[in-house]
Amino acid sequence: MNTVDEVLDYAIGQEEEAAAFYASLAQRAEKAGMKDVLMDFSHEEQRHKERLLAVKQGEHELTPEQNVVDLKITDYLVDVDASDDISYQDALIVAMKRERAAYRLYSDMAEKVPEGELREVFVGLAKEEAKHKLFFESQYDDRVLSDN
Amino acid sequence: MKLKDLISPFFVWQRAFEKPYTVSMRPIEERPGAPAYRGFHINLSEDCVGCGSCYTICQNHAIDMVEVEGLEAKSGDSGLRPRFDYGRCCWCGLCVDICTAGSLRMSNEYAWFTTDADEFRFVAGVENKSWDGRTGGYHRHPDYHLFPPKRVEMDMLGPEESVESFTEVVKGYSEEQARLEADRCVECGICVATCPAHMDVPDYIRSIRDGDYEKGLKLMYRTNPFPATCGRICTRRCEEVCPVGILGEPVAIRWLKRFIVDQVPAQEYQRILNDQPGSSGRRVAVIGAGPGGMSAAYYLRRKGHAVTVFEAEDKAGGMLRYGVPSYRLPDAALDKNLEYIRSLGVETKFNTRVGRDIQLAELLDGYDAVFISTGLWVPSSMRIQGEDHPRVMAGLRVLDEVANGRDPGIGKSVAVIGGGNAAMDAARVSRRLGAEVTILYRRRIEDMPADPEEIHEAQAEGVRIVIQAIPVEVTDAEQPGRVAIKWGEAEMVPDPKGGRPRPVLQEDRMHLDSFDTIISAIGQGSDLDFISKQDQEQLEVKWGKFIAGDYQATRMQKLFVGGDVANRTADAISAIEDGHHAARGIDRFLTGSAGSGTP
Amino acid sequence: MAQLPTHSSAWDMSPPEPVDLSSGKYVKLWQGPQHPGITGNMSLELTLCGDEIVECKTHVGYLHRGFEKFMERRTFIQNFTVVCRIAVPEPTFNEYLYSAAVEELAGIEVPERAQWLRALNLEMMRLASFVMWTGGMSGAFGLYTVPNWTLTYRDYLLDLFEELTGARIYHMYIVPGGVRNPLPDGWKERTLEILKGTEKLLYEVERVMFNNAVFKARSKGLGLITPDMIDPYGIVGPNARACGFARDLRKDEPYLVYDQLDFEVITGTASDAYERAWVRQQEMHQCIDLIRQMLERTPDSGPFQARMPNVLHWKIPPGETYLKAECTRGEYGYYLVTDGSEYLRRVHVRGPSYTHAIAVMERLAVGTNIADIAGLMVSLHTYPPEIER
Repeated sequence: MNTVDEVLDYAIGQEEEAAAFYASLAQRAEKAGMKDVLMDFSHEEQRHKERLLAVKQGEHELTPEQNVVDLKITDYLVDVDASDDISYQDALIVAMKRERAAYRLYSDMAEKVPEGELREVFVGLAKEEAKHKLFFESQYDDRVLSDN
Repeated sequence: MKLKDLISPFFVWQRAFEKPYTVSMRPIEERPGAPAYRGFHINLSEDCVGCGSCYTICQNHAIDMVEVEGLEAKSGDSGLRPRFDYGRCCWCGLCVDICTAGSLRMSNEYAWFTTDADEFRFVAGVENKSWDGRTGGYHRHPDYHLFPPKRVEMDMLGPEESVESFTEVVKGYSEEQARLEADRCVECGICVATCPAHMDVPDYIRSIRDGDYEKGLKLMYRTNPFPATCGRICTRRCEEVCPVGILGEPVAIRWLKRFIVDQVPAQEYQRILNDQPGSSGRRVAVIGAGPGGMSAAYYLRRKGHAVTVFEAEDKAGGMLRYGVPSYRLPDAALDKNLEYIRSLGVETKFNTRVGRDIQLAELLDGYDAVFISTGLWVPSSMRIQGEDHPRVMAGLRVLDEVANGRDPGIGKSVAVIGGGNAAMDAARVSRRLGAEVTILYRRRIEDMPADPEEIHEAQAEGVRIVIQAIPVEVTDAEQPGRVAIKWGEAEMVPDPKGGRPRPVLQEDRMHLDSFDTIISAIGQGSDLDFISKQDQEQLEVKWGKFIAGDYQATRMQKLFVGGDVANRTADAISAIEDGHHAARGIDRFLTGSAGSGTP
Repeated sequence: MAQLPTHSSAWDMSPPEPVDLSSGKYVKLWQGPQHPGITGNMSLELTLCGDEIVECKTHVGYLHRGFEKFMERRTFIQNFTVVCRIAVPEPTFNEYLYSAAVEELAGIEVPERAQWLRALNLEMMRLASFVMWTGGMSGAFGLYTVPNWTLTYRDYLLDLFEELTGARIYHMYIVPGGVRNPLPDGWKERTLEILKGTEKLLYEVERVMFNNAVFKARSKGLGLITPDMIDPYGIVGPNARACGFARDLRKDEPYLVYDQLDFEVITGTASDAYERAWVRQQEMHQCIDLIRQMLERTPDSGPFQARMPNVLHWKIPPGETYLKAECTRGEYGYYLVTDGSEYLRRVHVRGPSYTHAIAVMERLAVGTNIADIAGLMVSLHTYPPEIER
């Protein structure tokens, strides 16, 4: 990817893929209430996609914040399968890990390109993913780790 | 007639050369009332909780408690505020003396001119008055009390003694102690509103003052068939809002409840409560014999419906038996409550798990209504590397083993992960089994969801609490048969959304500690696998819990839900009320009437 | 001049000759119920023969407010706000006696600091009451300067009450259990200042009133209470002490802290209006002295209230008691009966004016000049509110 638009297109594609992933998992979900939870995740990805589209149209900027808090919860959790009888805790872990992977990807890309508009876009996208990860990590912290 | 007596009176003329005593002045502005003058009332509406003690004590009915438009009543606030009638007030200040919240005082203002006499009836603190900002005026001296501010201390086993056995730690009040403590109640009723079950608290406290324990028992059973249980382990939200606790210590409502119940032997219940259930010909299935299910069973029986309770364990009680240790809730107290409920003719099928031994569909078919109160029995996983090590046990499992009289085999040194009541219970039980216990908790002490009393007693019993400790990996220890846990120190960072701070692992501050057993008590979830996928479509489940509608109903007409699996407060009293409320709902559904009147 | 009537026995109240109103010899005059010569609301129905009173019938009832029944319908704590109004010009003794009676029946012991503060409040009330009385006494004889002085100076005493208790007349300071608050900062110093000023006032009053030809001429020999009247009529206080009877409850049956204070009972030689006024003048000096002693010795720290039960539902075991205290007019008594409920069963208030203003007045009025009847009444220091509550 060499241009800002190409990068944004790639990111948008990723969000679409994520939305589809969660939607399909939702259809298969067996545990009570999980269908709604996973559809919520899917809609969340949809919203990210729309945001990136708006950035591409020039309607607003990527995340202007300096630094996004990293709760580091994901780093020490084991990987889980996105199985049919996935629980709420595991669904969040799947989401957090996906966001972390995306964040890593964009951060690495930011390192590899020279300073300039492209790097700014990658840094901005990395921050977006960090925000998404924080969103899921906050839920995990509040609801799953309620007693710890 | 002495000459002196004729001349002496002229001495009065010396006054003509002295400074006058009285001068013409505008007294209202230039002569304020003394600093302690009993003038017009000031009530700080944000501090006032509308307890109505001022209204009760006023000897001339000069105060009425009135609703205030636009006032948002927080928890513990009745929403009413005192309205003063200056046509009746004598400015004695008793209202100020009795004010539990310390919000009411008097200013030193004494003049008020108006052509409209109705203005003299006003709601202090809500209707702005010119004297509201005055600092002078009568207020109750802090050492002067019209009711005892301090609680009667409860006798308890000291920590060195309590940790030796499973004997009940709290000894209970004597009759004299109970009378003295019951005397402190100001009968405001704010506790009634706050209690999830709306128990008749001021009335049963009064029955202690009157020495009429039978009446007290009857009052309690109106709303709660587990008084001996709640009298020991209730989360006592009533005490948190008790206005006496604002400037003093709240009335020990929980201990007083226990006192009444302990006075009446089980054999007398039948005679006193006189529950004579009829027979409506309807049958209700209850899934789960915990506080939610058994409460529903009790109230359904009272309404005359036949009840069958399906319980997966071999005894009733649910979390009360298999979760709460016996040094907090002795089996005898729990059994006293359960036996009475069953004596009304509740059929119980133990060792019967719905979803395995019998299907929900059969129950929905064979009964006129079904109430689900299965609780939260699935321990949450830590989902960290090595969690499946053989020396890692779930807290709930440890408690369950102990409740069944078995030794869980935890060894001599134990780490407990978590900060909720289950973690405290597991820790204190481990102490009693002879182990050294360390609690590792991710956040700060003030964030711990456990009852502060439990945390305090755990520490007194020698449990070491390490805060801001995040578990990261479980591995084999150096010695065989032991387990090691790698954990890191956490720093609290502010939440970007403005909630409480969150812990963040500091990777450069890691520790490795070895124990005989690691007990994980980080949370509990539900097991709703017994509900088929089609039924799931109909029901509303969010994050593993049911969303109950009015009267604990669901979108399936025959199905009602309650207890930990369906509420957000997750304590016994909420489950008990959910069961009772579901009983009301089921009764309305079965009889087709909008509330038959039997509570 | 008509024969002065004689009485063969102290109880004989009838006029020596039947009064024939149609004979034209007599005039009936009502003094009161609204009259500056009556210290409250009651009326004297006077039958005059010329200038001289041959018969006096007292009529009370204008101030019956039904306190004793009212109090049966209020809880023990609520009553404390009500009792001060029973004797309007000197309310504090009601608060003290009611609280003390309730405490005795409830078995509550009041801490020492509260006893001192109570006694201080009572002595100051006595002083304020006497100061007002002095004005009334001289005003009754038309000497209006002294009332202006004393009533004005009394305002400074009321200021002190206002600072201490929060109100000038109905203090509501002595409550069952103790008192409501300790002395405010600087109050002691201000009180000592005012006391100095009061002494100066008393000195001036002595010069102008007691060394006054008119006052002496009118009050000497007026309303003479003879020693044989004291016990049958139940005369108490300065009225009796002026007669030579050294009876003072603060000495005879000490209450509060009076057994720890240094004072002598003040007596006179013959109880006419002048002597009674003179005894009261000296008692004012005594009050000042007692207040000074108490200001010095009142503890600065310690509890001023006993541990009270919750007053909202306070039951007192059955019992009865009668307590008395020495107010400015003599023995003031409270009889209280409880029955174990939250309300008192019966209360009876005995004010000294019950005898002074009715039987004694009727007896002494006979033979008095109509111009002096007001002076006579005031010299007995009667408060109608406490007669009929």
